Amino acid sequence: MVERSLSRPRPRRRLIGPVTALRVLAALSLWALWEGAARSGWFYEGALPSSFAVLAAGFNLLAQPDFYANLAVTLFEVAAAVAIGSGCGIAVGLALGAFRFAGRAFEPYVQYLAPAPKIIFLPVFMVLLGVDSSSKIAIGALSCFFPMALSVAAGVRQIDPVLLRVGRSFRLTASQTVAKIYLPALASPIATGLRLGLGVAIIGTLLSELQMSKNGLGFLIMQDYGRFDIAEMYAVLGLVFLLAALANGLIARGFRIKGR
Amino acid sequence: MAAILSVEGVSKRFATSEGPVHAIDNVSFAVRSGEFVSVIGPSGCGKSTLFNIIGGLIDGHEGRVAVNGEEVKGPHRAVGMVFQEESAFPWRTTLENVAFPLEIAGMGKAERLARARDLVKLVGLEGFENRYPSEMSGGMRQRSSLARTLAFSPQVLLMDEPFAALDEQTRLLLGDKILQIQQQLKQTTLLITHNIAEAVQLSDRVLVMTYRPGRIKRVIEIDLPRPRSSAVLGSDAFGHYVATVWKDLREEASLGLSESEAALGHRH
Amino acid sequence: MAATDGASPNFAQRAAPILAGVLTLAALALLWQAVCQLGYINKFVAPAPLDIARSFPSLFIDENLAGRFLQTFGETFLSAGLAVAVGIPLGWFLHHKKLAGLAFESWVGGLAAAPLVLAYPLFLVLFGRNTATIVAMSFLSGLPAMVLKTKEGLDGTKRVLVNVGLSFGLKPATLFRKILLPAAMPSIANGVRLALILALINVVGVEFLINLGGLGELIDGLAQRWELAGMFGAILFVILTSVAFFWTTARVEKWFRPHG
Repeated sequence: MVERSLSRPRPRRRLIGPVTALRVLAALSLWALWEGAARSGWFYEGALPSSFAVLAAGFNLLAQPDFYANLAVTLFEVAAAVAIGSGCGIAVGLALGAFRFAGRAFEPYVQYLAPAPKIIFLPVFMVLLGVDSSSKIAIGALSCFFPMALSVAAGVRQIDPVLLRVGRSFRLTASQTVAKIYLPALASPIATGLRLGLGVAIIGTLLSELQMSKNGLGFLIMQDYGRFDIAEMYAVLGLVFLLAALANGLIARGFRIKGR
Repeated sequence: MAAILSVEGVSKRFATSEGPVHAIDNVSFAVRSGEFVSVIGPSGCGKSTLFNIIGGLIDGHEGRVAVNGEEVKGPHRAVGMVFQEESAFPWRTTLENVAFPLEIAGMGKAERLARARDLVKLVGLEGFENRYPSEMSGGMRQRSSLARTLAFSPQVLLMDEPFAALDEQTRLLLGDKILQIQQQLKQTTLLITHNIAEAVQLSDRVLVMTYRPGRIKRVIEIDLPRPRSSAVLGSDAFGHYVATVWKDLREEASLGLSESEAALGHRH
Repeated sequence: MAATDGASPNFAQRAAPILAGVLTLAALALLWQAVCQLGYINKFVAPAPLDIARSFPSLFIDENLAGRFLQTFGETFLSAGLAVAVGIPLGWFLHHKKLAGLAFESWVGGLAAAPLVLAYPLFLVLFGRNTATIVAMSFLSGLPAMVLKTKEGLDGTKRVLVNVGLSFGLKPATLFRKILLPAAMPSIANGVRLALILALINVVGVEFLINLGGLGELIDGLAQRWELAGMFGAILFVILTSVAFFWTTARVEKWFRPHG
């Protein structure tokens, strides 16, 4: 097997054609597979509806006003969860990263708790905060806290000590140091923490809605499950996934613009 | 003495995004059995391209490369390559690395480990048979890669600046080692290098290449007595040869330098 | 705040923060215990540490903690095993066929980031309320990581190592077996570990959500019966065993590192 000439780079333009073509082909094949399986009768009646049924249910949904009410509830809960969780996460992450002793003492516990699915704490929050948005936001915030704290702590430790010495030589106060040296240097870890945190906050909040709520998109899904309106359930799930991807993309783009 | 390796009218052009590049042009030379030949040239003269062509890793060239009369059309069993980059397998010990070619040739375990041990001793790594590459220095890793290539008993040993990443003193000592090995095995060797002292220290002949497109500018016979060691560095003859090589090389090197500076200038 | 004299920290310096962390935890537990005993906290909201400790025998005997542990970890290994069996060949395929790799690597990344667990009602409909749902979801959660790590490992093999193989005249199959695969091993081992961890998290979470066997169901069951001491005990057990699991898998993974 002889290698072709080492440096014969192809002009970039040619590669986009075949890749897009392959993706389109794959997407169409998957869709055909879905339609085939939906109509085959292999699955329990209605468990795998045709994609057209899902689309129809989706459009139907978008026409109903109480969908938007539920959407608003979920959006608000997720936003609140991310705000609270990230805020606490950044603060704790800064402390763990900047103070080596505290970091060595307590960060392991943050790391141990991070992977545990936070939804298991839902019963506790329900007692403390009641059966409404507060519990859901609490779970979401708790979920969001961990990736942010760990990301920021690691980021602080990676800050070039030279920069901190420069700050000290200019005799910056603690809050100035945080604002002018730490935070700009932490833009990237915060972005990462935000993307991960948003992901788990969405999961935490929506799972809470699925388990116990009377409103929100999760509640809609459970309602559809109860009524066996599977097509609409697929539609709502699809929308949730779409929103998650959108939010993720926005964060990535937002930080790319801010960055160098 | 017959020529083991013959390179006849080899040229190579590449198509790049900046237009066609003529890397080497009509390079011809032969290496006789037991001879040590160095190819020296400035950066960008196509030395590595030549190395890859002779080793059979590139095709699509004009001209002919033959080993023992047989044309090289791909990686050839008779040509052993030692690369510039670190190439010892990190997941194998020194002994396992050196035994690798014997393993794929189907040699039995006891036999190949015994032969590997001999080679490890030959390159001076005795005692490090069970060490992993990460536990050894750069010079030691290159020595184990050399031993691995020699395990195949190649007719032609082809090396591409194997000591480029090492410091000068290590290089000189390794140069001594190479001389010992070459003397002992009567190994036909072609060395690609940019280090003049190394080329003169080790070779019977030095081929100076021009800047791109690379051609053979001059062949310099090194008439220093054998067996040699790095002690030869102190002799007058050595200094004379180095000066001779530099005279030709300097012209080409400065061509290369001004061209790359001009290229940088154009980008502003 | 680097060690100023360049000497590596001695045992006391390394042990001190760990000790501080443990002592802080112990102090908090004592405080909590005192507050509970003084009657300031309702035991139906936050049980005292001693009560939590006392719940363990009952957990083992009445609630079959050991059996549930085996079930949860059994499902974990099954799901991860499937993810490895499917993921490694897929990862190899994306590496071997460059076009497919270019086209679909981002899709796999998207799958990794997608909140699959939110679709559990969907899986319930498709697979029914049994182990198949749990295994299917956990398999999908670990699959993308396995695929991406395999591809990454194979792609990342240094070109010169491949050239060494080519120069020895190796055929493609031998080249793969003797060079690409060993070179990719550290990444592949990492992928297996990730699949295991993601599977465990998913299994516990879904067991909790759909109330089906194993440790997750135990937590939910105890919560529903309002046996909070037992519930916290079960949560603690899950956290401790998962930490032990992460630590063990990390040691096993290290064994595959290229010795330095």
